[in-house]
Amino acid sequence: MEETRKPRRGINRLILLVVLALSVAGAFLFPPIRPHVQLPAEPITSKLFEFLGQDFYITNTMVAVLIADVLLLLIAFAINRQIKQGKSVLEGISGAFAAILEALYDMTESTAGKHAKKIFPYFATIFLLVLVVNLTELIPGVDSIGLLHHDEHGYPVQEIFPGIATLVKSSGETLHNGETELYGLYPFVRVASTDLNFTVALALISVVMTQVVGLRTLGREYLTKYWNTHALKEAWKKPQFGDPMAFIMALIDWVVGILEIVAEFSKIISFAFRLFGVIFAGAVVLFVIGTLVPVFVQSAFLLLELLFGTLQAFIFGILTMLFMSMATQSHGHGEAGDEHH
Amino acid sequence: MDAEAAKLIGAGLAMLGTIGAGLGIGILGMGAVQGIARNPDAAGDVQTNMILGIAFAEAVAIYCLVVALLLIFVA
Repeated sequence: MEETRKPRRGINRLILLVVLALSVAGAFLFPPIRPHVQLPAEPITSKLFEFLGQDFYITNTMVAVLIADVLLLLIAFAINRQIKQGKSVLEGISGAFAAILEALYDMTESTAGKHAKKIFPYFATIFLLVLVVNLTELIPGVDSIGLLHHDEHGYPVQEIFPGIATLVKSSGETLHNGETELYGLYPFVRVASTDLNFTVALALISVVMTQVVGLRTLGREYLTKYWNTHALKEAWKKPQFGDPMAFIMALIDWVVGILEIVAEFSKIISFAFRLFGVIFAGAVVLFVIGTLVPVFVQSAFLLLELLFGTLQAFIFGILTMLFMSMATQSHGHGEAGDEHH
Repeated sequence: MDAEAAKLIGAGLAMLGTIGAGLGIGILGMGAVQGIARNPDAAGDVQTNMILGIAFAEAVAIYCLVVALLLIFVA
């Protein structure tokens, strides 16, 4: 047993040294160019068709979402296959996901109580999707391998393999006839959370489904959260001349109900921009640090991105779950109203 | 002052908003540490709620960062 372990440890160190040497050599031969950062996602196909006057083409964030979907479906099929075999304790990656989902379900049950079954699918789906999408940022090749296109503010290219070229820093001599072709890079895959379309869509789904869950659970009583009829009844009950303080307090309760509508819209904006801001800022930091110090240092920031990506996915999911469980709780006006009747 | 310089100065000024986030996260940390000191058995619950609160406070700093990035890249 000892003899078979020794060469394996040596091999790992050797592989690590070889990869490090290759990366240092690559950084010297082809110094990295800072990628051009832009907010809208870059297209990787030409215009496919026109829809309502807008061009439709496939962007690189769509590719990232498709990759995340395929990965999640594969995991789902793997878990399904193990469950169909009748196992009660799942093995391998299915077991890891079962453990994660069980922890999430316990959290949902402790917050939402008996409505956990309705709320849990939204929480888990949003968490898993955003987690997988954020983790694609760490794969080498994302944001760096893509299509070259003509761009005046770009860089000259140098071919390393037939058909594969890389951007290089321009040296003075190549501009003697003013005819160098400058190129920019459109990556094939870009982290989907850096696209506002993805985050706003998820935020809209989250907030709209919160309303749906509330309406399904409470029925029409859910709308009293916004149009507080109980507060109006309270205000009209007290004689306006005898007790102005209670009248004002009841009116304030009614205005608070109206403000809840504004709060729902601010939730959409807050969800969208929290996820977008964290991941976009992280991507920009990775680009800049990777350009300044091509070897080693970006790895520390990749670790930071791993932490932040997971945390933001969890925050998105758990805030959705919290708002949904708050939506399923009646405010106690029902019971008080019954007493007064 | 041309537009490019004004954009960059604006982006730098926009990041002053992170002072609030830093203060908020510090106050949260203080409350969490005091809570754990009082009741070490509740450390897990306190820590979970602290992380939640920190994510909210940090989101405000991220809004400032988004404004700065918008100024540099989009405006």
